[in-house]
Amino acid sequence: MTQFKARRRGGVYVVLPVYAAGLIANLARQLVELLSDGEVAEQPGADPLEALLDFDAPRETPEDPALGRLLPRAYADDDEAAAEFRRFTERGLREGKVRDAKVVLSKLTDAGDGLPDDLEFDLDAQQARAWMRCLTDLRLTLAARLGVTAEDEGFWERLPETDERLPVYEIYGWLGYILESLIDVVRY
Amino acid sequence: MRDVTATPDAATVERTDVDEVVATELPWITIVWDDPVNLMSYVTFVFTDYFRYPRSKAKRLMMQVHTEGKAIVSSGSREEMERDVQAMHSYGLWATLEKTEK
Repeated sequence: MTQFKARRRGGVYVVLPVYAAGLIANLARQLVELLSDGEVAEQPGADPLEALLDFDAPRETPEDPALGRLLPRAYADDDEAAAEFRRFTERGLREGKVRDAKVVLSKLTDAGDGLPDDLEFDLDAQQARAWMRCLTDLRLTLAARLGVTAEDEGFWERLPETDERLPVYEIYGWLGYILESLIDVVRY
Repeated sequence: MRDVTATPDAATVERTDVDEVVATELPWITIVWDDPVNLMSYVTFVFTDYFRYPRSKAKRLMMQVHTEGKAIVSSGSREEMERDVQAMHSYGLWATLEKTEK
């Protein structure tokens, strides 16, 4: 049974059914792949000088709607400033999101094989925040794939059971429940 | 990026109150925009956790984003606002910066 309990120093004790842990791990691995796509692994980091000399640094908002939402424009009305900001910050932002996803994965893959029905683990305050940010990134990604918009709950709830989007929408909703449960017990 | 792990009592970061924007000489602002995905509780959490705003102010700003479509969440130098916008993006919030008009 899914459980979240506050622990000392802002930590959280988590119990997840193995199938739920497997689902989150699967999504987190896909997110890492999405964020790493088109980027060579050993590229220079956030060093401004390196970014200045790196002519391949990104300037355009990604075409993929999910990536576009994860790595949005920083200047709404100034193309030049937006491109410049992206050039200096996008790699760092991608790397931070990948780091968060790896914190999530580390808790889900440490568990090993031959498990009982539930996976139990502790998150410290920092890891809990990495989880919250990553769950948010997963929700943003699924929402972009589905095309979720404001006030459209009715549309999704009326989908016929055979619609292939329905299970994805249910996972999206379930990730929201997991995130809400974490927020409830994290001290901030 | 600012350390997101410090507890609220560990560091009291001086922030310019957004209500004072017009009166001060700080010409840049960070705007957070409404989106259909982020949970209200999460947005409040981010404003509290990152900006160290009191819960009441974080909630008020979150409600403003929700009902008006956007809210000014911080103001300062261009460099400070670029840092804040990048932090908001790391939390998955949709944020932009711009120069104030006045």
